[in-house]
Amino acid sequence: MTLPIWDNVLYMPGDVIAAWIMMLLVGPILLLWLSKTKKWPLVWEYMRTTNHRKIGSMYVLFGFLFFLRGGIDALLMRTQLAVPENNFWVFQGDKYNEVFSTHGTMMIFFAAMPLLIGLMNIAVPLQIGARDMAFPFLNAVSFWMFLAGGMLFNMAFFLDSSPNAGWTAYTPLSTDTYTQTEGNDYYLFALQVSGLGTTLTAVNMIVTILRHRAPGMKWNRMPLFPWATLVTSLLILVAFPVLTIALFLLMFERLFDTSFFSGEAGNPVYWQHLFWIFGHPEVYILALPAFGIFSDVISTFSRKKVFGYTAMVLSLCLIGFLGFMVWAHHMFTVGLGPMANTFFAITTMLIAIPTGIKVFNWLFTMRNGVVRFTVPMLFALAFIPTFVMGGVTGVMLSVAAADMQFHDTHFVVAHFHYTIIGSTILGVFAGIYYWYPKITGKLLDRRLGIWHLGLFITGFHLTFFLMHITGLNGMPRRTYTYQWGENLFAFNFISTIGAFLMGAGMAVFIWNIIRTRQSGDHAGADPWQGRTLEWLVSSPAPEHPFTKQPVVDQRDAFWYAKQAGRRMAAGTDSRPAPIAGKTIQPLCIGAILWLLSLSMIYQWWILAVLSGVLVLVMFLLRTWRDERINTIGKEGTADE
Amino acid sequence: MKKAWIVLLLLLNGCQIRTLNPHSQVAGDQAMLIYLSFAIMIVVMAVVFVLLIRFAWKYKQTAKNKDDVPEEINSNKRLEIMWTLFPVLLLAILAVPTVVVTYHVSPESRNGTDNAAANEAAIHIQVTAERYDWTFTYENGKQSNRLVLPVGEQAILHLQSEDVIHSFWVPELGGKQDVIPGKEILFEVTPDKTGTFLGKCAEFCGVNHALMRFDTDVLQEKAYRNWLQEE
Repeated sequence: MTLPIWDNVLYMPGDVIAAWIMMLLVGPILLLWLSKTKKWPLVWEYMRTTNHRKIGSMYVLFGFLFFLRGGIDALLMRTQLAVPENNFWVFQGDKYNEVFSTHGTMMIFFAAMPLLIGLMNIAVPLQIGARDMAFPFLNAVSFWMFLAGGMLFNMAFFLDSSPNAGWTAYTPLSTDTYTQTEGNDYYLFALQVSGLGTTLTAVNMIVTILRHRAPGMKWNRMPLFPWATLVTSLLILVAFPVLTIALFLLMFERLFDTSFFSGEAGNPVYWQHLFWIFGHPEVYILALPAFGIFSDVISTFSRKKVFGYTAMVLSLCLIGFLGFMVWAHHMFTVGLGPMANTFFAITTMLIAIPTGIKVFNWLFTMRNGVVRFTVPMLFALAFIPTFVMGGVTGVMLSVAAADMQFHDTHFVVAHFHYTIIGSTILGVFAGIYYWYPKITGKLLDRRLGIWHLGLFITGFHLTFFLMHITGLNGMPRRTYTYQWGENLFAFNFISTIGAFLMGAGMAVFIWNIIRTRQSGDHAGADPWQGRTLEWLVSSPAPEHPFTKQPVVDQRDAFWYAKQAGRRMAAGTDSRPAPIAGKTIQPLCIGAILWLLSLSMIYQWWILAVLSGVLVLVMFLLRTWRDERINTIGKEGTADE
Repeated sequence: MKKAWIVLLLLLNGCQIRTLNPHSQVAGDQAMLIYLSFAIMIVVMAVVFVLLIRFAWKYKQTAKNKDDVPEEINSNKRLEIMWTLFPVLLLAILAVPTVVVTYHVSPESRNGTDNAAANEAAIHIQVTAERYDWTFTYENGKQSNRLVLPVGEQAILHLQSEDVIHSFWVPELGGKQDVIPGKEILFEVTPDKTGTFLGKCAEFCGVNHALMRFDTDVLQEKAYRNWLQEE
C-alpha cells in the first residue's frame, strides 16, 4: 500500500499498517486498564525489582508475548503455503523471507531462551535453598538487556525493515552487498544486546549454584533442574561469546566495509563455522533445561526418586560436551571433504547414546511408581514420544550421505521442530503449570490445561509429521511457493490445518491464565506433594525465602522429612545472602543500550558515542557501590 | 502411532517420493541409507513407545494405590548397561555404511591435481548459479537453462556461483551440493535411467529463491547428441 504524505509517497506493506493500527488500538486500552485498576505502583515496583521470582516472571511474560508474535508469523507462513502457487496477502518474495527470518530468530532468542531463563530464575534459587540469585543487580541488568534486544527486534517490523536473511544470516547474503536495508543490522544488534544479557545470566547462575546451596546439599543431592541449569550455563558461557564475535565481524562487514566473509582474503564459509559453533550448543542450551524440568516433574508425579540419578547427571554433562563437537553436521553439503563429513557424522551419532540413557531413565522412573496424570505430567508424557521422534530423525540426519538429500528441506524443518517444541516448549509449559503456584499462588485449571495440551500436541503432529514427507519429496525450506504438479498440496494443506490447531491450543492457555486469575484456587505451599525445596516455602514464593536455610541430609530431603513426619532442620551456617534492593539503574542500562544500538543501526555516530560513554559510566558507577557493606553487618545480627 | 507408520510406509511406496525414486548410483545409495536408518530407528521408537504406554497404563494412580509410597529403586546396573550398549550396537550397524557411502559421495573442492577435473572420458558441464537462474554451459559451447544429461555416462558438473551461496539439487539424481562464490566445486553424477526432473536451489539466496528452479532431462545417448547440436 502506498501512502501519500505531503509530496512524498511512502510505501508500506499491508501487514505493517495492520500492526500499527492494532497497536494504536490496543496500546491506549492497556494504559487505560493499568490506570483503572491502579496497577501503576505495581509496574513501578517491577521496573526496579532485583528479586529472582519477579525477574523470572517478567522473563516468562515477555518470552511468552514474543512467543505469540513468532506464532503469528508461523500462521502467516502456513497460510501462504496452504495451497500451491498461493498469493496470500503480501507474503511472497521478500515479505515471506522477512516472516521466516523473524519467526526463527524470535522463537530461539526471544521466546525459548527467556522462557527457560525465566523458569530457572524462579525455580533454581528455591530448589537449592538459596535466598536469591548470587548477583541480584546483575540479574536485573541481564533481564533489561534481553528486553532491550527484544524491543529492538520487534521495532524493526513496525518500521518495515525486518531482517530477511534467515535466522542463520548466512554470508554473503547477509552482507550489505546483497541485503542493503537496515533489517539485518537490527538482527545484529538485537542479538548482540540480548546475547550479552544471556552470558551475564549464565555467570550469575553458575555462581548461585556454586555458592548458595543450602547446607548439606552436596552435588549428588542437588535436584536435576539445577544440574541442567548448571551445565546449560557452562554451555552458554562458551557458546555465546562465539556468537558475539561472529556478530561483531558481521557488523564490521556491514557498517565498515571489512571483508571477513567476502573478497580474496575472506570466505563466506567462516560465518557458517562461527555460527554453528555457537548454534549447535545452542540447541542443547534449549534442550537441557527442559530435560531438567521433566526429570523433576516425572519424579514428583511418579512419587519416586529419579531412576539412575548418576547416569542422568553424567549424560547431561556428556551431551553438553559432545554438543561442541558436532557443529559441521549443519554443513555436510558445503563440501568440507570426506574426512570432515564422516568425523562429524560419527560424533553426531554418539549424542544419541546419552540421550537414549535419559529417555530410558525417565521411563523407568515411572516403573513401579504411582503415576498421577496431572497437567505437567501429561506434558511430560507427550514430550517423551515427541522428542524421541525428533531424536531418531536426528540420527537419520547424522548419516552424512543421506543428509545431502535431507539438508535444507522440510525434513529438517520437521526434525528441529520435533526436538525444540518437543523438549523446550513442552518443557516450558510443563514448568509453567508445575511452578505456577510459586509464581502467583494459584493453580492453573486442569480441564483447560488438558484442552491446551490436546489441541497443541494434535496440531503439532499434524503440522510437522507431514513435513518429513514433503521434505523427502523435494520441498526445500524457506520457499514461499511450490507448483501444482509436485505432489505436495495435500500434505501442506493438512500442515496448515495443524498449525491453526496449535494456535487454538495457545488460545485455551491464555484463557486458562485469565480464568485462573479471576477465580482460581489458592494453592498451599505444597500442592503437588513435591520433593524439592521450593515446596517448602509459601506460594507465591516470598521475597525472602529461607531466612534460615534448611539442612539437606539426602536427595529429595523435603520428601523424606514429610514421610517421616518431621520438619527439616534449620541450618546455622549463615553464609552472606545476596542483598535485595530496589534500583532503576538496570532498566536505564537496558534503555541506553537500546539507544546505542539504534544509533549504530542508523549510523548516527555522535549519539552512538554519547550513549556508549553513558553506559560505560553507568557500569563504572555501579562498581563503586556495594550495598553489602551496610547490610551484611545488620543482617548478620538480624538473622541469628 | 503404529498405524501412522504403516500409512507412512504405504505413502512412501505409493506416491513416488522423489528422494526415494533414485535415477543414479549416488541417489540409490542415499535412498538405501534413508531406508536403513529409518528401519533401525523404527526399532528404537517401537521399544520406547511400548515401554511408555505400558508403564503409564500399568502404574497409573487409582483409588487403591493413591496413598501408596512406592519402593525406591535407584538404579539397576544390568538394565542401564543394556540400554547403553543396545544403541551402540544399532549405531555401529548404521555407521559402517554411512562412512563408506559418505567417503564415496563427498566432493572435494577443486585443486590442480584433482582426478575428476582431469577425467577426459566424462562429460564436463559448467553450471553457473546467479540469483535467480541456473545456466548450463556444455562442452560444445551451447548454453541453456536446462540440464540435459545422457543416460549411463558419467557427467562432471563444475558448480560456480556469481553472487551468494546457492545449492544444486535434483532429488532423483542425488544431492545436494552447495554452490559457493569464489570456489569451483565438482559434482559427479551418472544417471542410470531416463526421465525429466525438477531441479531446485536449496540454499536460501534471496527474494525469489523459491523460483530458482530448472528442468533436468536424462536422455538416451542419441537424443542427447541431437539436442546438443540444436540451436
